[in-house]
Amino acid sequence: MNGAAMWYLNRASGIVALVLMTAVIVLGVVVRRQGRLPGLPRFVLVGLHRNVSLLSALFLVVHVTTAVLDPFVDIGPAAAVVPFASNWRPAAVALGTLAVDLLVLIVVTSLVRGRIPIVLWRVVHWSAYLLWPLAFLHAVAAGSDVRSGWALAVVLVCAGVVAGTAVVGWLLRPPPAADRAPAAMASIVSGAGRGSGVAVFRNG
Amino acid sequence: MITACLGPGILDPSGGPGLAGHLARYGSLPAADAVQAAERCGLHGRGGAGFPVATKLRSVLAASRASGRRPVVVANGAEGEPASAKDAVLLTRSPHLVLDGLQTVGRALGADTLILAAAPALLPALEARLAERRDALPVRLHPVAERFLAGERSALVSSIDGGPPLPRAKVPPIRERGVTKRPTLVQNVETLARLALAVRGDTSAAGSTLVTRREEISGLVRVDVVDVPLGAPLADVVRIDDGVGAVLVGGYHGIWLSAEVASSVALEAPGAAAAGVALGAGVVAALPASRCGLRETARVVGYLAAESAGQCGPCLNGLPRIAAALDDLARPARMPTAMLEDLLRWCGLVRGRGACSHPDGTVRLVRSALEVFGAELAIHDAGGCTAVDPAPFLPTPGSSP
Repeated sequence: MNGAAMWYLNRASGIVALVLMTAVIVLGVVVRRQGRLPGLPRFVLVGLHRNVSLLSALFLVVHVTTAVLDPFVDIGPAAAVVPFASNWRPAAVALGTLAVDLLVLIVVTSLVRGRIPIVLWRVVHWSAYLLWPLAFLHAVAAGSDVRSGWALAVVLVCAGVVAGTAVVGWLLRPPPAADRAPAAMASIVSGAGRGSGVAVFRNG
Repeated sequence: MITACLGPGILDPSGGPGLAGHLARYGSLPAADAVQAAERCGLHGRGGAGFPVATKLRSVLAASRASGRRPVVVANGAEGEPASAKDAVLLTRSPHLVLDGLQTVGRALGADTLILAAAPALLPALEARLAERRDALPVRLHPVAERFLAGERSALVSSIDGGPPLPRAKVPPIRERGVTKRPTLVQNVETLARLALAVRGDTSAAGSTLVTRREEISGLVRVDVVDVPLGAPLADVVRIDDGVGAVLVGGYHGIWLSAEVASSVALEAPGAAAAGVALGAGVVAALPASRCGLRETARVVGYLAAESAGQCGPCLNGLPRIAAALDDLARPARMPTAMLEDLLRWCGLVRGRGACSHPDGTVRLVRSALEVFGAELAIHDAGGCTAVDPAPFLPTPGSSP
């Protein structure tokens, strides 16, 4: 295969993986906050979150494989999982390696979710908020496309979306359990008063 | 035919609540084994579930031996049920009986931590009572929040551990993992008081129970607490005549009985359980015929919905909906179409789907109200109401009537 083609594949799969991971974070926050996408039942959102993350993992496999196989940059197979093992831009690649390590942990714990303590699953899953910045910094440091132009725009938009989603998710967090009953009472009673009947579903 | 001999029983005020009066009346606490005493007199818990005490004590002992950790004993005087006053009265009138029970159970289980949980208002007097005693095991006092669910066993354990007074999942059970992750026994204060009498050889103590009575006498609502023999007819506990419309038995997770059924049923008698009658928190409230049972139930269920722990979706979302539907039914107006079917459907949807039995108990009350006040429902649908007195009868703290 043409060496340049492998390099293009590496760069393209990297950007696509970053965009998909951005979508995964948005979907994750929507699921956690019991939100809806128009026309879709909530179990579809949960399924989308899982499937898009597995798709991004797939693109990552392509990205890492092409980086290792590509003859122009000296990145050995060990650098796929061991940080600072690369000869080409070790620090920049290490950021990506750490992100890959975290992703492997997240995917594996999610696959065996019923069999491990829920606290362990949750702590590992929260490291997604560490994974995305690592991937972003790796894109900025190691990515040759991201200096200017459309690639930079894409990456910056993704960063804005993730930051915005995290803020909105935090603002929409539910009150502590002890305070929820009065709010539930108020929403039901106001529904009844409006004449829309008692059956007003709070979640949609 | 048992006629109830209602008396102060274990609430006997003679001698006062102090240690001297207590010792004069009951003698000092013997070193008898609490588990055997509970077994011998067949004592059942007085916290609402009526579980056999000996079985419960043995299970905590077994859990303690299996895990190698010393158990914790919690005397539950939280009494979140607004209509019940028996635990507060017991802790005021005969606190040393409760403390005796706590000591004897602590000794039998090999516990090193004893906790007495009660409302903050009762704690200063209890401190004074504790100071009078010279016990082997120290007792810690714990103030409880004024919430309906604060006395639920896992909510109490959570609150003692410093968390919110909300129920937790029962896996693993409290008897294996409770306060500070140790096997924990949570026992109602009345049960402990009766156990303190049982270890002294008084087997009759297990044969009666404290009941909070609420009835209207000469236009005034009177509330008192009496010691009633189990198996006593309800008609001997409260007066049931033409002035009484229905009787609430058990508390806000209990059931309504029509006046006819109530006048022929006995507490804890063999046929009572079949009729759905259970002592529960020991509340017997005789609703005057001049008040509307549907409006009372709607207010109580509104209170129960507001007291949801907010942790489980079916309870948090379902109970307010049920309360709003009852509100509509309590009004003398045309019933909205399919309201009753919807209400019964929601009742079926929340049972067994919470971490505690709050939704189950609430739904139990609702179903019995729809049954007992069925005639009243029809009258409301036609635009009328048989009640003449709109004043609230049952207490609902924290909400406007």
